[in-house]
Amino acid sequence: MPRNDKKMKNSQLYKGSLNTIIMKLLEENGKMYGYEITQKVKGITQGELNITEGALYPALHKLEAEGLLDVEIEKVDNRMRKYYKLTESGQKETVNRLSELEDFIRNMQSLVNPSPKLEF
Amino acid sequence: MKLTTQQINQLYLFTRQHYVEYYDLQTELVDHLANAIETEWEQNPKLTFDEVLNKEFRKFGVFGFMDVVESRQVALGKKYNRIVWTDFKGFFTIPKIILTGFLILAVFYFLKEYYTIEIFRIAMFFLIISMLPFLFFENRKMKKRKQETGKIWLFEKIIFNYGTFPWLIILPIHFFNIIRIDRTSNPSDLALFCMSLFIVSMSLAIFIVLKIIPSKAEAYLKQTYPEYKLENL
Repeated sequence: MPRNDKKMKNSQLYKGSLNTIIMKLLEENGKMYGYEITQKVKGITQGELNITEGALYPALHKLEAEGLLDVEIEKVDNRMRKYYKLTESGQKETVNRLSELEDFIRNMQSLVNPSPKLEF
Repeated sequence: MKLTTQQINQLYLFTRQHYVEYYDLQTELVDHLANAIETEWEQNPKLTFDEVLNKEFRKFGVFGFMDVVESRQVALGKKYNRIVWTDFKGFFTIPKIILTGFLILAVFYFLKEYYTIEIFRIAMFFLIISMLPFLFFENRKMKKRKQETGKIWLFEKIIFNYGTFPWLIILPIHFFNIIRIDRTSNPSDLALFCMSLFIVSMSLAIFIVLKIIPSKAEAYLKQTYPEYKLENL
């Protein structure tokens, strides 16, 4: 059955991981602006995961207020562009959150897809 | 195809029309919409500016920019509260604790010597009077700047509207009105000390919210918004 792409972006399952996704991307790419993040996620997941604008900016603003992100402004063409990057504490937090997410993925994997038991 | 300056201005107008009154948020949203429109035009060059804009705006959902504005308000509100709390704590740590302690003792001995409930009301009355100039004049600075530049920065508005603390300013007025208990009672030293501590803490908190933070507004804005410097050269 083909996956329903439109619905995936609203899935509750992704919501808890949005901050971690953003932080991971910033760790890899240095500084990014909002639109770039949405496009990057789309690209990496080949269009399967679509971060909505209404969710992205609130997440960015929250991370910024928590001191995990810092902002920079650059004049690009005829407008101003706001870049986000990880602060020092943001970098540490990214490591924590990624390992948390990996644990989560591993546990889910074994719950959803338990390896067959060989004992009788 | 790149957007023209006129189209960028049109996007600013668009955000204003959709209830984004703060310049910092407008700027971020304008860049987002502009990028989205430029990308869309690469795929569908025949669409008009308005068609693409509406298409992109719909992606923000039924509430439009509301979620973005609200989340930004919450985030900056928390930042403001942190500043107030840090300043307040500062009055209870070295070196300012000496001044605070002195004030508390001064109020304590004054109350002990002259205690009547009227004294308390008179103190509240003076507190209210001393707040008035700040309430009237500080706020005008922001309005004046808005008139000059046509821009409001969200954090600026939070600072000059005292964040979540307008209740603090009303507090002395409440005390002034409410306290009409019996005059004959003679409170213990502990009660008087608590009263002094309370009066001094309240006055300090009001002083921070009304005077200290607004007077440093410029510095806070520069720290919050890198673009603030670019705009105000």
